[in-house]
Amino acid sequence: MASGAENQVSIIDADVHNSFGDLAPYLPRVWRERWRRVGGGVGGIHEGNPRGVARRDATPPGGGAAASDPEFLIRDHMDRYGIDYAILTGPGGLSLGPDPDYSNALARAHNDCMIEEWLPVSSRFKGSVLINSDDPQSAAEEIRRVGGHPDMVQVVMASASRSPYGQRQYHPIYTAAEELALPVAIHPGTEGSGLAWPPTPVGYPTRYMEWHNILPIGYMAQINSLVCEGVFEKFPSLVFVGIEGGLAWLPHLMWRMDKNYKALRDTTPWLKRLPSEYIVEHVKLTTQPIEEPSVPGHFAKILEMMHADRTVMFSSDYPHWDNDNPALILRNLDDDLRTRIFSSTAAELYGLNTKPSADIHPRRGRPSVTGSRESGATYQDLVE
Amino acid sequence: MTKHWICRVSDITAAEPLIVTVNSIQIGVYLVNDRIVAWRNVCPHMAAPVCRGTISGTTLPSDVYTYEYGRDGEVLQCPWHGWEFDLLTGHHLAAGSRARLRGYRIEVDGNDVFIHTVT
Repeated sequence: MASGAENQVSIIDADVHNSFGDLAPYLPRVWRERWRRVGGGVGGIHEGNPRGVARRDATPPGGGAAASDPEFLIRDHMDRYGIDYAILTGPGGLSLGPDPDYSNALARAHNDCMIEEWLPVSSRFKGSVLINSDDPQSAAEEIRRVGGHPDMVQVVMASASRSPYGQRQYHPIYTAAEELALPVAIHPGTEGSGLAWPPTPVGYPTRYMEWHNILPIGYMAQINSLVCEGVFEKFPSLVFVGIEGGLAWLPHLMWRMDKNYKALRDTTPWLKRLPSEYIVEHVKLTTQPIEEPSVPGHFAKILEMMHADRTVMFSSDYPHWDNDNPALILRNLDDDLRTRIFSSTAAELYGLNTKPSADIHPRRGRPSVTGSRESGATYQDLVE
Repeated sequence: MTKHWICRVSDITAAEPLIVTVNSIQIGVYLVNDRIVAWRNVCPHMAAPVCRGTISGTTLPSDVYTYEYGRDGEVLQCPWHGWEFDLLTGHHLAAGSRARLRGYRIEVDGNDVFIHTVT
């Protein structure tokens, strides 16, 4: 194996949102009209980002949605910032919809499109297996169906769930992920939509900014549950990745959990260590949207408190509005910690230890949609 | 200071900036309320190409639960995070922020527009 600085992986970006466009060619005929009417959406509860979620300068020159063109994504983002690998996360998660069969079909369509149209383009792309976590048995089947693909490196699911993710009904997901040695990641965006609970325990925030501010509350709830339910005792090699949920709250959560464990451990007798020790060993958070305190040194202290050399991985969130520029964030860290955050923690987790080939293989054409002619009705036609 | 000819007055419209390159630096030239201003095409926050942002107005500071839209055409929204900048002063329109766009002095002589740079 080659070694030396020239073969060191530079940057691994743990959250890049490739856009799949029209998934009709990957959906069974029975679901295509629903896809055309409602897509993946199940109805939101806030007004959406008033600026739009996609960065306005990331539209491919040939048109289409931001990050819908693999080669432009490589040029516009990865080459510009010296990023060796992008962990592709697609939509990040599926909204909690009422129909598990439709949601499962959507998950399969996303994954088939990832395998057919994105992963073959460049070995710098690594994929995430999108699952409908609300149907854990089917989600486990989907992990086993496509999770063995050599370029699929993790499972991703919505951070919003009907029950806390540590509970036993979700364990089939972790069984399958552990079998295939895949980390399980969560991604925000569906909080409060469809059948999801309100985004906070006190109800619905009024506007997008408030909704976005408070997303970490769900991450705290999920990590709290995973640890206390003993998921990391039952699945000792499982790694859980919190994408895009912030960082700075983790020390608080670890300290509060440790304090309560010292008093109430008899209610969770399966825990053999302090909760914070499970977190440092099994949980990783991604950096974007990075906190920007007015005194930059405060953030370095937080990183120290949360053992960032083990728990933090760089992410950009390209092409979304609040993406971070790797050349401008985390500049005042020592070199060892920078290397951990920008590459080596992710390299170990995802098995990306050598520089990838720069070769690009043009995207294959879309499969054609066959079968009977579809209705052109839109959602508005049907509800008004 | 060095004076560079960049364009004619008639080349600049209020609808969109004219992007010029001076000393390898991209600069957006804007017509705002009949005034010509020039800002470097780099957002001071995350180095985004700020001049590709939308020219708009914004909600003016107001009482709780009141909304007053104003300053139409005087505000530039960064295409990444949406930071709003005052196109006339370059200041970031957020209380407590000291960020501002990097500006250049403009000189108009007849129909010719010149920009002054340090080098």
